[in-house]
Amino acid sequence: MIGFVVVSHSEPLAQAVVDLAMQMIHGEAPPVRVAAGADGGFGTDAAAIAAAVDDLADTDGVLILTDLGSAVLSSELALELRESTQPVVISGGPFVEGATAGIVRAATGGTLADVAAEAAGALAAKQPHGGDEVPAPPGASAPAGPPAAAPPTGGAAPAPTAAPAAGAVEREVTVVNPVGLHSRPASLVVKAATGFDAVPTITDVTTGKGPARADSMIALLALGATQGHLLRVRAEGPDAAAAVDAIADLVEDGFGEGE
Amino acid sequence: MTDSTVVTSAQLEAWLRAAAGELKAHADELTALDSAIGDADHGTNMARGFAAVVEKLDAAGDDSPGIQPLLKSVGMTLISKVGGASGSLYGTLFLDMGKAAPDAAEIGVADFASVVAAGVAGVVGRGHAVVGDKTMIDALEPAVTALTDAAASGASAADAARAAAEAAAIGRDSTVPLVARKGRASYLGERSAGHLDPGAASATILVQTLADTLGDGGSAP
Repeated sequence: MIGFVVVSHSEPLAQAVVDLAMQMIHGEAPPVRVAAGADGGFGTDAAAIAAAVDDLADTDGVLILTDLGSAVLSSELALELRESTQPVVISGGPFVEGATAGIVRAATGGTLADVAAEAAGALAAKQPHGGDEVPAPPGASAPAGPPAAAPPTGGAAPAPTAAPAAGAVEREVTVVNPVGLHSRPASLVVKAATGFDAVPTITDVTTGKGPARADSMIALLALGATQGHLLRVRAEGPDAAAAVDAIADLVEDGFGEGE
Repeated sequence: MTDSTVVTSAQLEAWLRAAAGELKAHADELTALDSAIGDADHGTNMARGFAAVVEKLDAAGDDSPGIQPLLKSVGMTLISKVGGASGSLYGTLFLDMGKAAPDAAEIGVADFASVVAAGVAGVVGRGHAVVGDKTMIDALEPAVTALTDAAASGASAADAARAAAEAAAIGRDSTVPLVARKGRASYLGERSAGHLDPGAASATILVQTLADTLGDGGSAP
């Protein structure tokens, strides 16, 4: 499994991020170490980061998650100081979202590349239109009309949108729980989507967003599917029916959250 | 005054002790600079880090190590005790100086200039800052250039260090009008202009105390 080192200027901040992310884990959790603060105060300590990485020497790889700028710099120095040899990636993803998305992905057995891509793409989830446009300053003429559709992010590869091919299974279900496909349900979908031959996809028929890979929490959150939206769950291959049913049943059941 | 063209590990120890004293004396000033454009901790962080360096020197007693282990040990102490970007950057400065230094008790001034240049190159590689970004590099790079030029023209260690200190001070003062492009101050954008960079100020203190120590002959306590 992939391990994590959470690097922050503040120990309580790092610990809270870990606690928040761990709320999403239902089953075996990836190993996580915190390297936060320096000499009892705010700061980052490259030697402590190196020790945390070395502590995860028997993992398949380590993703380092960082808060403010110098956390990156200290992490880079830590990679020179460490003694272990497992692959390590310093994530460029946002601290809170990247930790959550990465840890959820790792819990389902992703590779270091999968986990790193998930964390790096995590910023997309908090941008309502999928882009990173800054609001136009007052007085500037804003473009009329709705913003462009969200580009695929977080590993959400475009999937065919034509009629189901031979062997493909589709099922349409309505989101019934009040808050929709937020982070906890998304993590349940990611878990349900794992272990099948082909990755199922979900399209929000109501908004036209997607298809999103069902094994990518960030891609699912980017759909922004709320109560009443019609979702199309699609999969191909020998397991297609089982995969689609696993996910569609979760949605119809309101993710166990009631109606 | 001395016209020696070598730098000894005893002199470097004396320099580190003097630097610890000066950083402590100027801690409030450095923190005030940092409160204008940063997180208001640079003075305390640097004073704490160099106090830890002195503690380690005291614990080692009279067994003066070679120049290489001395510099590497200082680097590791600063990484753990200063914290944040300054800890990693000053730690890298001394670690990379150590990697380039001989495991001997003294070194010629031209070789010493190469050692310092390797350390500053390490800082540039770590922080990706160039002259004009309003960082410690604005003081360190001209200081290394002056040190190298003076050593190449046959200057004594004391004279070469003095030339470096003068260049560092000019570089430090040049940071006032600059807009920060690296570090915490860069979050302020244009508002960082009009303030002296605290990293350039602490770097200048280090170079100035080196010049003072070598100028005194650097007798170890």
